[in-house]
Amino acid sequence: MTLRSTLARVTAKSSYWLLHDVLHRGGTSLPGKLAVSIDPNILTKIQQDFELIIVTGTNGKTLTTALITRVLQAGGYTVITNPSGSNMIQGITGTLVTANVKPSPNGKKPIAVLEVDEANVEKIAAAMKPKMFVLTNIFRDQLDRYGEIYTTYDKIIAGIKHAPEAVVLANGDSPIFTRGDFTNERKYFGFNHIQPADYNPTVAPINTDGILSPTDHSVLEYDFITYANLGKYFSTTDNFARPKLNYQVTSITDLTPKYSTFSIDDTPLRIEIGGLYNIYNALTAFAVGREFNVDPEKIKTAFESNAQIFGRQEALHVDGKDVTIVLIKNPVGTNSVIDMMVTEKDDFSLLALLNANYADGIDTSWIWDAEFEKLHDTHIKAVATGGERYKDLRVRLKMAGFPDQAVYEDLTQIVTAIKALPTDKVYIAATYTAMLQLREQLGAAGYIKGGF
Amino acid sequence: MANFEISVAHLYGNLMNTYGDYGNIIALTYYAKQIGVAVNYHLVSLGDNFDADSFDFALFGGGQDYEETIVAKDLKNKADQVRHYIENDGPLLAVCGGFQLLGHYMVMADGTKVDGIGVMDHYTTNMHDPKLTTLNNKRLTGNIVIKNNDTAETYHGFENHQGRTFLGENERALGTVISGNGNNGMDKTEGVIYRNVYGSYFHGPIFTRNGNLAKRVLATTLSRKYPEVDWADKLDQIETETF
Repeated sequence: MTLRSTLARVTAKSSYWLLHDVLHRGGTSLPGKLAVSIDPNILTKIQQDFELIIVTGTNGKTLTTALITRVLQAGGYTVITNPSGSNMIQGITGTLVTANVKPSPNGKKPIAVLEVDEANVEKIAAAMKPKMFVLTNIFRDQLDRYGEIYTTYDKIIAGIKHAPEAVVLANGDSPIFTRGDFTNERKYFGFNHIQPADYNPTVAPINTDGILSPTDHSVLEYDFITYANLGKYFSTTDNFARPKLNYQVTSITDLTPKYSTFSIDDTPLRIEIGGLYNIYNALTAFAVGREFNVDPEKIKTAFESNAQIFGRQEALHVDGKDVTIVLIKNPVGTNSVIDMMVTEKDDFSLLALLNANYADGIDTSWIWDAEFEKLHDTHIKAVATGGERYKDLRVRLKMAGFPDQAVYEDLTQIVTAIKALPTDKVYIAATYTAMLQLREQLGAAGYIKGGF
Repeated sequence: MANFEISVAHLYGNLMNTYGDYGNIIALTYYAKQIGVAVNYHLVSLGDNFDADSFDFALFGGGQDYEETIVAKDLKNKADQVRHYIENDGPLLAVCGGFQLLGHYMVMADGTKVDGIGVMDHYTTNMHDPKLTTLNNKRLTGNIVIKNNDTAETYHGFENHQGRTFLGENERALGTVISGNGNNGMDKTEGVIYRNVYGSYFHGPIFTRNGNLAKRVLATTLSRKYPEVDWADKLDQIETETF
């Protein structure tokens, strides 16, 4: 370590201490900026302290990163990780330079597990030498900001090419990850929970992206689909098919809104969160853990003893009502939430909140690609809509066959809205900034501890 | 109620569906159902035959660049039938990429020129075209409001496109831009009307946010198939969603 990089690190740590411990402000961007201004090569220099795993993709980055962290810790590694809001270059630099890296209890090198925004993968990979890229999925997401799925993947590939020695551990159920002209070793995880006798050849629903074969651009068929365009695909015109899986979900026992039980490579597992998509997150963490030689039994314990990390799906009580808050931000994520509601056995009400600020995506068209019609397959008893773009959502749900809705133009009425719903169980589905506003209101009313 | 039904072709609905375009069919179906009309949905995609005479309405949506190039190749095989459908006054809504591919050609952001089928007279250059006099190298993204000069109706939507479309001589705009950019940011036109074809860059989708237009196109569709009924009158009696 040179004098310059030591100075960069000390400055970053001091500013982090000042911000965090004295001023009680979160954030790692400023320390990152300071460190880079003193030593532009700081990332390259500190990489020798640890192995680096980059986690990227559209949905599930945050939870997957948290799960991988717990799994590796259970395997005796010291792990550095970034808060979900700090997944771009400045925040990541800040996280790394301010970390106090202690030796791993298992004697191996510590590991940095970083959630990285898709567009920032190249910058990180160019500055450091990742040991592994973990690719969750790529779905259409806020096209006004991110662009198309193949453009997004190209950005990730540009990063992968900086580290040809790194293993690319990807979701094999997503056809897009069979593409890419990089030479890295590829390993895949996916679902194989359905027996061949029960295969039901099908094509993806029309509102699904990424369904063309990379060989001859024909429409792929599937032996089964888990959700969206994920599943066991094959081409009807040539030999292209889903690659062989290194890690697989071998059975699913129970899908409920609060927990799921399933087996990966015949290890029975349980996670304290509903939704098939969350089993993918667990599968990803399992695969990473096994790649770093963490014992399956330790992974099982890591999943079961860390219930609090499943934070995005938040449960609280509002005057006797059992309220679950879920984030919705794109069609695939929303459909996954609706699929989860299908597994709800009790009567419930839905309060759906739509904003269209920059962080939500300013184009609301995506709500028409989410299949709200499927709510008719649930025990839903009432629908209410709100948020700054309540008009869009009201018409969407009206045209989906829910003509009677309470409408809340103003989120200051949120507690009233919840109380007015007829069921004890309430789901609130909100876009990002609507969720922040909602939390602020619930905090002010004393239903969320600490508020905002 | 009498048994009325319409057949809807969703052209390349599995590939050209990027911005909620299917919502247009949801809206059409919503209004149709209230006046006792059933809507039968048909996906017409790669390798499928498009039999113009068996459809009463068609939607051709927008897609991502990669899918659009694959669709453009396949569309050539359907060009004669699409032309026949349009010249026979078949009602068609074409959005974004679909709108572009009915014209002579479109140029992608990277400069790749993709042939359209030229059944309509417009063409589309890209945002880097040196002939542009404004907003060069910029995507046209944001809320948009236009006014239909034939009907004085106002339409609201969201545009997000890099392509710049210029209308042909026998085409007129769907509307004049009140706020936003429209077809090319230069001539205040948005979309196209040609016979019963409506083209637009509007997402939102256009029929969901502009029930007046959805009902107008539905009335045209139904009057073409069942001329003995006063469809406009029936549609006037149900609530119009506009936002």
